[in-house]
Amino acid sequence: MSTDDHSHGTEQSGHEHHEVEGPGYPTPAAMRTESGREETAYVMAPRVGMENDGPDFVGVVDLDPTSDTYSELIDAVEMPNNGDELHHFGWNACSSSCHAEGLARQYLVVPGQRSSRIHVIDAEDPRDPEMVTVIEPEEVFEHDLSAPHTVHCVPGGKIVISMLGDANGELPGGFLQLDQEDFSIDGHWEADRGDMEMNYDYWYQPRHDVMISSEWAAPNTYYPGFDLDDVEAGNYGDSIHIWSWDDREHIQTLEFGEQGQIPLEVRMSHNPEETQGYIGAALSSNIIRFYEESDGTWDWDVVIDEEPREHEDWDMPVPPLITDILLSLDDQYLFFSNWLHGDVRMYDVSDAGNPRLVDRVWAGGLFGDRQTVQGEEIRGAPQMLQLSRDGKRLYWTTSLFSSWDNQFFPDIATDGSLMLKADVYPDEGRMELDEEFLVDFGDAPGGPARAHEIRWPGGDCTSDVWQ
Amino acid sequence: MTDATTHAVELVGPNERTETVRVEEGETIVDAAERADVALPYGCLYGACGTCTAELLDGEVCHQASPRALKQASRDAGYVLPCIATPETDCRLRVGYGIQAEVVGTPWK
Repeated sequence: MSTDDHSHGTEQSGHEHHEVEGPGYPTPAAMRTESGREETAYVMAPRVGMENDGPDFVGVVDLDPTSDTYSELIDAVEMPNNGDELHHFGWNACSSSCHAEGLARQYLVVPGQRSSRIHVIDAEDPRDPEMVTVIEPEEVFEHDLSAPHTVHCVPGGKIVISMLGDANGELPGGFLQLDQEDFSIDGHWEADRGDMEMNYDYWYQPRHDVMISSEWAAPNTYYPGFDLDDVEAGNYGDSIHIWSWDDREHIQTLEFGEQGQIPLEVRMSHNPEETQGYIGAALSSNIIRFYEESDGTWDWDVVIDEEPREHEDWDMPVPPLITDILLSLDDQYLFFSNWLHGDVRMYDVSDAGNPRLVDRVWAGGLFGDRQTVQGEEIRGAPQMLQLSRDGKRLYWTTSLFSSWDNQFFPDIATDGSLMLKADVYPDEGRMELDEEFLVDFGDAPGGPARAHEIRWPGGDCTSDVWQ
Repeated sequence: MTDATTHAVELVGPNERTETVRVEEGETIVDAAERADVALPYGCLYGACGTCTAELLDGEVCHQASPRALKQASRDAGYVLPCIATPETDCRLRVGYGIQAEVVGTPWK
């Protein structure tokens, strides 16, 4: 079966609903072992805040090593407007709807973080995606929400998007629910948000009736750039929120305080039996493990604690800034990026509460001993990660967010950012930068662009949930 | 240059390149620039994000909504948001993608 297939045949899988074909895989192991190698990547490519003017686009990158255009940007779906800031995106359907006959993983839901405009792209032909629907910002603001971020398809024919602000870019945020069939807006997903005000990423696990959401800040705080005064004023998040998935109600807040400032990406184990996961606290640069206790409440521990480092050009010690984390489909390895320091790390998490550092790759950043690939300067540092389904190739892009890029790695604004790759050897617990692989978004048709979240047709380590 | 209902806004870009656009009454500077096919950075279009941040060199503008992306000190220093600003007089504005980071500050010594 080719990697780019959107559906799976289950006749050999032993899955209990083996007569039904759906848009994903019956288990994480089925996706890991039966899907084949990724041949195409979709990459968010914003041009907001660049020296050159122009619309953002969804880049199509050739990952087929037998192709003449391997490691090149081969197509771009341009947005109809400027200023969107494409950031994160998701599918209309995934393995959470594994049993839903007739449903296909066909449409990419692509929000503009700054514009609050939501685009729907038909990717039925993985190499020829087409824009089919645009939800204009006014339709989103009508629900007193803005700043769309994480997109997950959820069981029951819906798509849920975390929204970071109200219609004025202030708090509170919430969750916007779309219909999976016609992409019309249903309204808010949540029935009761309790004391949740800030929002960012979320993960959910229906088997355990749980959803976990994290906190960045109000859009009007983080949009303009990173200001330490906002940290001191308490304008950035330091908590995660536990929700009842079935009741759509907030039930518990886990407040990390100084140990968990700006908790961003939430990654629960792919194995649906597990009731635990990890979150990267960007500013504190800690990895925090959260887990369900026997009484049904949730608790947390800092399991990786990184130190800031002095830099001769900085007034203050530089935090590593953990901006993305990712779990392999077999839940054995945790990867995360230190966007300011310039390394991506690989931890063995087979003992979930005791991660063990097994390897790291330095590439760019403030401390990387490697600052070029193929003679090209590495603008930025490891940021958004995506791992191949078989866990053997780790890809990343180097841009974080237009306004923050312009403060910390201003060269991205003139010359664009990069997509890089490391070969991973899970059986040996190590990885190596692949110097043959480089996608330079500075050479994008129409002018340089940033590069942000990466996805494969057919699903990946951060798109799918197994019930 | 100015009649009763329009104002001339001179946009001074990086490298001192200037363009002048005529802004209709009630029109934002970003809308007028778009209409004239003059490139100006912008994002949210409602004053929350600061992508369009510019420095007012001469003249007066009025923000049509709260310029939430700018802290009071930045407003006092003459920074404005062209996506929600309309001119009250003829104006000169320093514009460009780099002004946002200049306003928030960078960590460099």
